[in-house]
Amino acid sequence: MRKIAPWLLWIWIMVVIWAAFFYAPLAEGFVGQSSRILFFHVPMAWVSFVAFLAAGAWSIRFLAGGRRVAHDHAASAAVELGLLFCVLATVTGALWARVMWGAFWNWDPRQTSIVLAMIFYAAYLALRSAVEEPETRRRLAAAYAVLGLVVAPFLFFVLPRLTFSLHPDTVVNLRGRIEMESRMRQVLAASSLAFTVLFFWIHRIQVRLKARAERAPLGRTRP
Amino acid sequence: MSRTASSWLSEAAAVFAKEWRCELRTRYALNTVLLFAFTTLVMVSVALGPMGVDSAARATVLPMLLWLILLFAAAAGLPRVFGHEEEKHTATALRLAATPSALFCGKLAFSLTLFAAIEALTAPLFLAMMQLPVAAPGRFLATLVLGGWGLAAASTLVAAIVGQARGQSTLFAVLSFPVLLPLLLLAIEATRAAVGGGGGADSLSRLVLYDAAMTVVSLMLFPAIWNP
Repeated sequence: MRKIAPWLLWIWIMVVIWAAFFYAPLAEGFVGQSSRILFFHVPMAWVSFVAFLAAGAWSIRFLAGGRRVAHDHAASAAVELGLLFCVLATVTGALWARVMWGAFWNWDPRQTSIVLAMIFYAAYLALRSAVEEPETRRRLAAAYAVLGLVVAPFLFFVLPRLTFSLHPDTVVNLRGRIEMESRMRQVLAASSLAFTVLFFWIHRIQVRLKARAERAPLGRTRP
Repeated sequence: MSRTASSWLSEAAAVFAKEWRCELRTRYALNTVLLFAFTTLVMVSVALGPMGVDSAARATVLPMLLWLILLFAAAAGLPRVFGHEEEKHTATALRLAATPSALFCGKLAFSLTLFAAIEALTAPLFLAMMQLPVAAPGRFLATLVLGGWGLAAASTLVAAIVGQARGQSTLFAVLSFPVLLPLLLLAIEATRAAVGGGGGADSLSRLVLYDAAMTVVSLMLFPAIWNP
């Protein structure tokens, strides 16, 4: 099973990519084919959200549950991957914004909050690299990640309400729910699942790498 | 129970008194931070030129400048709250002397009063120099208090983290700005409303929410940061 699972994921993602371009219809009111980026942009943003949440959860477990090194590895790997998906979501979002809004960047509330999240977790990694002593590094990084859980609601729920947003979900959401063609919804769900599984798969590999780097007698210890 | 509560209070009060005593001996924070805030204020004012900001744009631009000045003043002064304990190697003695939550509350009270002093000097001077009339002075004052509370609470917690990381001041800026930015945007929004005279109750209540969340999480996290 462990051997075939990555191949199943690979086939699943192939199907999602095919479906995004040939199965799902275009959304109304979007320029050209630009609505298809939805099937990649939204799962990326979703995964980075999940990753940061998971990093916070693992940090709480680290601080409250006996300071186990494995939890710290899990938290830092989640932040690294979350940051990667965050960058991908920002770039795909900016590309789409160029097509739809005419500019790559215009400080739409969504763009503001994702940039702040990116700065926050980049600061988390900066903190890790600034502290040499491993015990202290783990403790401080975990505390900072938990602080992130407190700041995040302000970034994602409070700030976007300050100004008007052009971001589709708030535009589509006027009646309080996302209205989407059923085939689009299927592809989006399939893609989100694929990205989430992909994240946890890479995350497992990263955690194992970190544990091995820690054990290696001559290897560099990673922050 | 009452006995432990009173000893906790006296510990916090002792830390607070000790901070101010150290501060009044050297006057480092008061002198440098106040001068820093004043210099930034003068720089902003000079850069805007004799005409100042166009009167139509005044209510939108000036609140932003005020909070930027306050943010940088906080970044200049507040990291020292924990930084100097590490520099003078007094942190270990402090660990033995006080329970973490009492220690944090004492330090927080010091940060709050110090930042209130900075605000008390900077804000009126800013209003006078920029010729910014405030339509709702009560709201403006409430914004200063709530924004100052959030700035001081978040800065004190980040200062504790940075102090353990051998107190690099650049690290403080990197760690604190993403935490402070939501607060800053809310405070700017509330100040704009106060200057304009209308609305702003939303931003004020969100500021209260931010302050409460930050204070509670600080008290919960501080023991983990402070005790090795």
